[in-house]
Formats: sequence, structure tokens, C-alpha cells
Amino acid sequence: MAITPSPPDRRHRRRFLIGLAVALLAGVGLGLALLTGARTAELNLRQQREAVVTLRALTDLVERAGGGSAAAPAEGSGFTADLPAAPAPEPPAEPNGNGMGLGEELAAVEAGTAAQTSSDPGGPVRTAVERFAAAHPGIKSIRVVTFDGLLLEASTAPADTGTKAAPRKLERDEKPLYDLGQKLRAAVTENRENAAQGQALIGEELAIQRMPDGSLILSGPVESHAAGAAEGAEAVGMIQIHTAAPPVASSLATPWVPALIACLVPIVVFFLLGLALGQRRALLAAAAAVLLLAALFRFGSYALESLEAGRRETGKVLAAHITEETAKAGSLLAGLPNTRSSGSRPDSSGWDADLFRRPLGLVTAAGTVDEKRLDAEIRGDAVRLHRSVILLALLSLVLLAFIGFGGAARVGHDLIEYRQAYTYTMPSLIVMLLLVFFPFFYGIALSFTNQNIYNTSKPITELWVGFDNYKDILSDLSVTHKSGSGTVVDYTDFYWTLGFTVLWTVANVAIGVSLGLILALMLNTRGLAFRAWYRVLLILPWAMPNYITSLIFKGMFHQQFGVVNQLRQMVGLVPLAWFERPSTAFLAVLTTNGWLSFPFMMVVSLGALQSIPADLYEAARVDGATRWQQFKSITLPSLKPALVPAVILSVIWTFNQFNVIYLVSAGEPAGSTEILITRAYKLAFEQYRYGYAAAYATVIFLILLVYGTWQNRVTKATEGV
Amino acid sequence: MPTMESGDTRTGRHWPLHLFLILMLIVTVYPILWVLTVALSGGQSLAIVDVPAGAGFLTRLRAIIPWPAHLSVSNFHSLFADQPFARWLLNSVIVAAATTILGVVLASTSAYAFSRFRFPGRRAGLMAFLVSQMFPGVLMMIPLYIIIVQWLGLGSSYTGLVLMYTVTALPLCVWMMKGYFDTIPKELEESALIDGASQATIFFRIVLPLAKPAVAVTALFSFMTAWNEFIQAATFMNKEDMYTGPVGLRFFVGGYSQQWGYFAAGSVIAAIPVVILFLFLQKYLVSGLTAGAVKG
Repeated sequence: MAITPSPPDRRHRRRFLIGLAVALLAGVGLGLALLTGARTAELNLRQQREAVVTLRALTDLVERAGGGSAAAPAEGSGFTADLPAAPAPEPPAEPNGNGMGLGEELAAVEAGTAAQTSSDPGGPVRTAVERFAAAHPGIKSIRVVTFDGLLLEASTAPADTGTKAAPRKLERDEKPLYDLGQKLRAAVTENRENAAQGQALIGEELAIQRMPDGSLILSGPVESHAAGAAEGAEAVGMIQIHTAAPPVASSLATPWVPALIACLVPIVVFFLLGLALGQRRALLAAAAAVLLLAALFRFGSYALESLEAGRRETGKVLAAHITEETAKAGSLLAGLPNTRSSGSRPDSSGWDADLFRRPLGLVTAAGTVDEKRLDAEIRGDAVRLHRSVILLALLSLVLLAFIGFGGAARVGHDLIEYRQAYTYTMPSLIVMLLLVFFPFFYGIALSFTNQNIYNTSKPITELWVGFDNYKDILSDLSVTHKSGSGTVVDYTDFYWTLGFTVLWTVANVAIGVSLGLILALMLNTRGLAFRAWYRVLLILPWAMPNYITSLIFKGMFHQQFGVVNQLRQMVGLVPLAWFERPSTAFLAVLTTNGWLSFPFMMVVSLGALQSIPADLYEAARVDGATRWQQFKSITLPSLKPALVPAVILSVIWTFNQFNVIYLVSAGEPAGSTEILITRAYKLAFEQYRYGYAAAYATVIFLILLVYGTWQNRVTKATEGV
Repeated sequence: MPTMESGDTRTGRHWPLHLFLILMLIVTVYPILWVLTVALSGGQSLAIVDVPAGAGFLTRLRAIIPWPAHLSVSNFHSLFADQPFARWLLNSVIVAAATTILGVVLASTSAYAFSRFRFPGRRAGLMAFLVSQMFPGVLMMIPLYIIIVQWLGLGSSYTGLVLMYTVTALPLCVWMMKGYFDTIPKELEESALIDGASQATIFFRIVLPLAKPAVAVTALFSFMTAWNEFIQAATFMNKEDMYTGPVGLRFFVGGYSQQWGYFAAGSVIAAIPVVILFLFLQKYLVSGLTAGAVKG
């Protein structure tokens, strides 16, 4: 594609046509992918919610069956004494209120108090599970595990027959099953405590695993609602169901036709328009843009309709499913022997729930879809969809403009014309792009989210919190707090850490520059013996890897065995606990960094000093200048060009001196000697608050940016003088 | 390095300077002697000698003199025999070598293009390398951790660490090599071009051999970046047998572990090569760093 100096107006129509086609393809294609993704997600969610309803219906049944068996007089279990003498029929709102759980029942077995071989305490549970399985052809298998005694209480899995038939002990290779149950149990307990304190729930109480064939394995806790457990129930077992794979027909067909229409119609229209418009660029651009937007918004409204239909279908299916399950559970419950609450209807209101077993409330108690709720969900969809359509439109417009106005042609031409140069530079530029620039911007995007270790799998748009992290970091201006015993400094406050970082940087650079300069002046003395030896030995701290230096100093400042305290004791002082007070800890890290940073300044100053011509000093002496005058008027100005960049570098290095702080003081005591970047690191990799830490790091970057700009201006201004 | 001047008569005049310099030497060399002492003590204790509670001046003086109570190389021996230090050192060698090779290949090719060709995006590319130096390491580590460990599953692998180290060292390497290529006269290449040599031949047969010193400095710089790096390796290498040398050394004395003998012996082994390299390299580094800073 060689560029010939042909009249440029001949290309506009073609370029905009190609641009429109590419932009449509990209916009509608991406939209199609998003829509398919959303519809698949909706379908999966529907399947999952149906399965959850089934699981919870079964759980309800098992919990009641377990209670019934333990209460049966034939058991003779000591635990029956704990039960109210004359249990009243259960109110429907509290279906499990008084049932005795599997745990007690099994504890009774373990203790041998219910040793009658004729009576089997797990029998009712097994009966319930078998009948439930018979009534549900859509379930492949059910397994019930009791934690106490590691028992497989009941199972309809094909593998668990013959010698492996339930009830039996769990086998070694079934440990994951038990571990999963324990995880759910921990989640239940933890969530209850968190909920009581008004905190967010963390652990999911239901575990769902999607198998490659589309079937689901759901696990949920079985709770004992024993008398005395006033706080709430404890999970004593786990039920796991494996649903059958959904029929293939229920997976969605990709809506190709609307997408194709959205792509082709504008292109045809533009082609016809182009015949009329000729080569007028502005008109062509406007026409292409309008057509592009119209097509995208038309496709967007189609997508909304499709999503709305999906939502309504979900509501209908779920309502029907819940009604069906309630009916089945009612008849199963009635048919079970020895179930104390057999008279009551199962309460299905909380069955349709999320993974924290919080009711979703889409289906009312009467078994109909809550239309208001559904409409609210659809409105939420519309808002999200609107946002993505606008984003897609912007993207496609940029693409259209890029191709239409000839940018793409220029880039293509450049790539061919300069292919040699690009071949040489591309590998490193691609690596930099992928591993420096993309992560940099991704990190900034992360800083607007509340991503942490628990939710990294979610897309960051779902975790968006805007400027909350920044507000949280920057708004806490009260570094000190008044408390009963006086003023307390909040060492985790951003401004304390910032102040400490500035103090740390200034102190270190001052020490480095003065020590380096003094040593350089000394080494520059004419006729000094052993100069080369001094120089090599004094450079050693710079040559040492600084993590080793830091660990060495950490050892030397050890309270009991460190040589620094030995030296103090030698001259009659008491040993100090260096890292128990902020001031002494600061001294320790300052010593460490001073030790490793002065050689750099020394080498730079020495280089500059040696380049000063000796006759300058001779001329000054002839003019009768004193040594101080010589230093002030010759030495210092000659040092400046080398010292200024060295100081700039040194400020940035010290500001970012991670290893010394992290390895020597580790922020002790109480985070008071933390600098900004060690704090950011700990937020990210010890507290796992990735979003918050990213915001913290972005603030650090901005501080460095402001410093760099200011430094640049000051340097330029002083150079001008 | 300036040669010693034969000013024996003047030495006497400089005694206050010598006094101060010798004092500074003691401060400078002491930590190094201390770590050597602990390494050669044959034990794991921080203390050079055991000091009883009511010890006198002389005992305490002995406790700070950097010479072990019993000279022994057992720490070095059991570092390799009983501890997985050889494995960690091997990890460091592999990572540093791969970083060096990758760094030299990427830096020399792109620096050559930046030096010899004029093409759209050249200035932007060069600036991109400079600007990337401003991004704080921790800001980069959070997204890199998510990308490399969670998306690509490259946690505790050589690949992830090598890539990170390469991009850390690359910008300075590119600028250093570009500066060197700029000093090689173009006429050589032009005459080769007239003789019918291809661009690749010119680069590999003419320019690279001429730029040997710059290649050596770039290689050493990449190697030292990888060899001395601690925190990224500590964050990304979670499995104990994938630790690098620095992470392993910290493992000896971090947390509740107090194996100072192993730490000291390992430090000596890890530090000696880079200290020697550094003493050869430092004059290039100083000029490279300050030149870069002045340009920025």
C-alpha cells in the first residue's frame, strides 16, 4: 500500500465505509459477546437458584427427619430428656425450631446409650433422602454427612452401594467432602457472629460447583435446632446434591440475526448515501457516526428486551419450582414416620436464597412472582446496559474516526515503511507495554475498587467504589487522639507516615551529602597517602547488597546480643530496646541507611572535585583569596552540576528505600517507623486490601510526580541564574 | 583510580585527616567484619562471645572485637549439607542468568533502533522508558501480582520473576546502550551497506562487536538487578524450594528464626560476587546514572 500523492478527496468515501464496517463489527461484536455472556449467566443463575431451592427443601426435610428419630420413644436416648415434655405443633414460621439434630443423635450413638441394634437412629434421615430422591428425577445423587463421628449418613450415589452403603464412616479419600462441610460450618458460625455485630458476611454458606457437563454439585449445611441453642443453630452435618445435566436445548442460541441486521443495514444505507454525498468529508463523517450510533442503540434495545425476557422467565420458573417443591415436601413430610412436626407445612419462603442463605425475595409467600422486585431488577439491568452501550459507542466512534480520517492508513504505511526499526524495537516495547504500562493503569483502576483477596475473581466494574479509598486515606487529619492516659499518636494515619517519610528522606540525604562531601574533600587532598585504599574500602557499603546490610544491622541492633548494646554496656550505659520507641528505632534505621548511602555521594563529589582545574585555585591564591573564599567561589559551584542530579536521585531512592525499613525496623513500634511504600506493601500483601493499597500507591506516585515537577522547575530556574 | 603519590614527607602533615579517615574506615568495615565473624564462628548466635551478666570492661570489649571465639567453617559446610541453600542459590543463578540474557537481547536491539533509525514514535518510545522509571515499585507490584500470579498462574515460577526483573532493568540498559551506540561512527555501517550487507549482518557482525563494553555493562547491571532483588522474590516465590538467595537468607533470620550463623555464611557467599563486580562496574554506573538524571 504505497502512498502516492493522489488527490486526497478520492479516498474519503472508501475510508469511511471501511471505518463504519470495522466500527460496527467491533461494537456489535463486543455487544453480542456481552449479551451472550449475560444471558448465559442468567440461565446459569436460574439453574443454580432452582437447585438451591431443591437443596433447601431437602435440608428442611432432613432436619425434621433427624429430629423425629431422636424424639422417638423407642430410642431411649438420654437426650430425649432435654426435649420439652409436650412439644406443641410447630408454627410454620419456625419449622425447625425444636427438632433434635443429627449431632445429638450421633453423639448418642457414639456414647452407646442408644445401642439397640433393632433401632437405627439414622433411619428416618435415610428414608427421607430416598423418598426425596424418588420424587426428584432431576437429581443424580444425594449424600448426607454427619460431622460427629465422620459418618456418611445417607447416600443415593451409585458408588455408595454394597459394602460402601450408608451409613458408614467416611473414608480417607473422602476427606475433601468433610473439609468442605467444615468450611461451611465455619462460615455459618462466623457469619452469625458478624451479622450480630452488624458487619458484612464473608464466608459463603452454600458451595456450588459447576461440572463440565453443566450439572451442579451443591453443598449446604444441616443445622441442629436443639433446645438450648438459643443463639441459633449449629451446623452438624452437610447435604450434597448432584443435579442432572440440563438438556442441551436449554442452552442459548447466539442471536446472530439481530446482530447481522445491526451490522449490514447501516453499511448498505451508508453506501447509498455515499453515492449522493460524494467525497465531502464532514458530511460523510457525520452520516457514518449517526448510522453507527443508531445501529448500536437499536442493538442495545434489542439486548434489553432479551435480558428482560430472561428475567421474567427466571421469575416464572422459580415460582413454579418453589410451588412444586413445597407440594412435594408437604407430601413427603406427611408420609414420614415418627416426624414430630409432620403436621406442619414446610415453609418455603427462604428457599430461594443467595450463597449466604439470605432470601432473595423474588417469589412471594403465596408462590407468585413479586412484580415490583422484578421491575427493580430489570431497571438495574437497563442502567448497566445503558452504561455499556455508551462505552461501546465511544469505542466504535474512536475506531471510525481513526479509520475514516486516515489515521489507520498512515499507521499502516508507517509500519511498512519503517518495518526495520519497528522489528528492532517491538520486542522490548511490547514487554514494557504488557508488564509496565498496562499494570500501571490497571493499578490505578484497581485503586477505585474495593478489591481484596476474597473477591479477585469478580470483574473490577462490580467492585467499583469511586474515590472512597482516596477519601479514606486522605481525610483522616487527626494524627493524634486524646485518650484517658493522654495524647495518643495514630501511627497508621497517612499524614503521620507521610511526615515520617519526609523526615526520613531529608535526614538521610543531609547525612549522605555532608558525609560524602567531607570525605570527598579529604580524599581530594593533594599528596594524601593511601588514597586509593581509602577510596576502595569506603565504597564497600555501596557494593554490599542492601538487603544483606539491613539484616546485618538488624542483628547488630539486637537488644540482648547485638554489638551496639555491648558497646553501650562497655562504656557503662544500659542496653536499649532499639525498636520499642519510635525515636530509637528511627536512629537505628537512619544509621543503617546512612551507612549504605554515603559512598554514592562521596564518589560523585570526588569525581566532580577531580575535574576542577588546579590553576583556578592558583589564580585565586594569587588574588589573595582565603581558603574559605576558594571553597565558596570555586569548589561549590563546580560541584553543583554533579551534586544536583545526585541529590535528586538520592531523594527518590531514599523515599523508596523499602528494604531498610522493611527489614530493620519492620515499622516497629506499632507502625511508627513505616514509610509510605512499606505501608502500601503491607496493606497489599499482609492485609490483602488490593484496592485500598493501590490507592495508597497511587497517592505515593502523585507525591513523587509533584516532587519531580517541582524539582525540575527549581533546577531549571537555578541553572538560568 | 588515582595512583598513590610518593609524598612520604607530606604524610606527617595529614595526620588529622588520616585519623578521621581511619575512624570512618572502622565504621565502614565493621559490619562487614562482623558478618564474617559470625559466619566463621561455627554457631548460630548473634553474639561474638558469650557475655555473663556482670561482665567487666574487658569481656565486653572482647564481645565487640570482630574475631570469632572458635574459628570454624562448619556454617558454610552445613549451609549446603543441611540447609536447602544450594537450591536457593541455584534459583538465583537461573533467574539472574535468564534476566541477563533477555535484558541484553531486548536492550541491544531496541537501543540500536533508537540510535540508528528515525521513525515515528521514536521519541515517545524513548520517553516511555524514562517515564516508567518514575512508577513506584509497590504500585506496580499489586497489579503485577494479580496479573502474574492470579491470571497467568506464574507464581513461584522462574518465568514470572525473570520478566519482572527484565522490565525493571530494561529502561536504564536501553538508555546506556543507546548512548554507547551513538558514539560509534555511522560510516562503518554505511560502507557495509554499500558492500551489500543486510541490516541484520550489520547489527550482529559490526555494531555488536564494537559495542562489547556496553554489552558487558548492560549484562552486569541486569545480573545485579536480579541477583540483589529481595521483595518481589519474597512476594512472588511462595514455595520454599523456589526461594531465591535473598529470600532464603531472610528466611534464616526472619520471624522467630534466629539462625544467624547460616545467614552470615550465606550472605558472604551471596555478596562476594556482586561486591567484586561492583568495584569494577561502579565508574560506569556513576556516569550512567548521573548522565540519565541530567538528561531527565
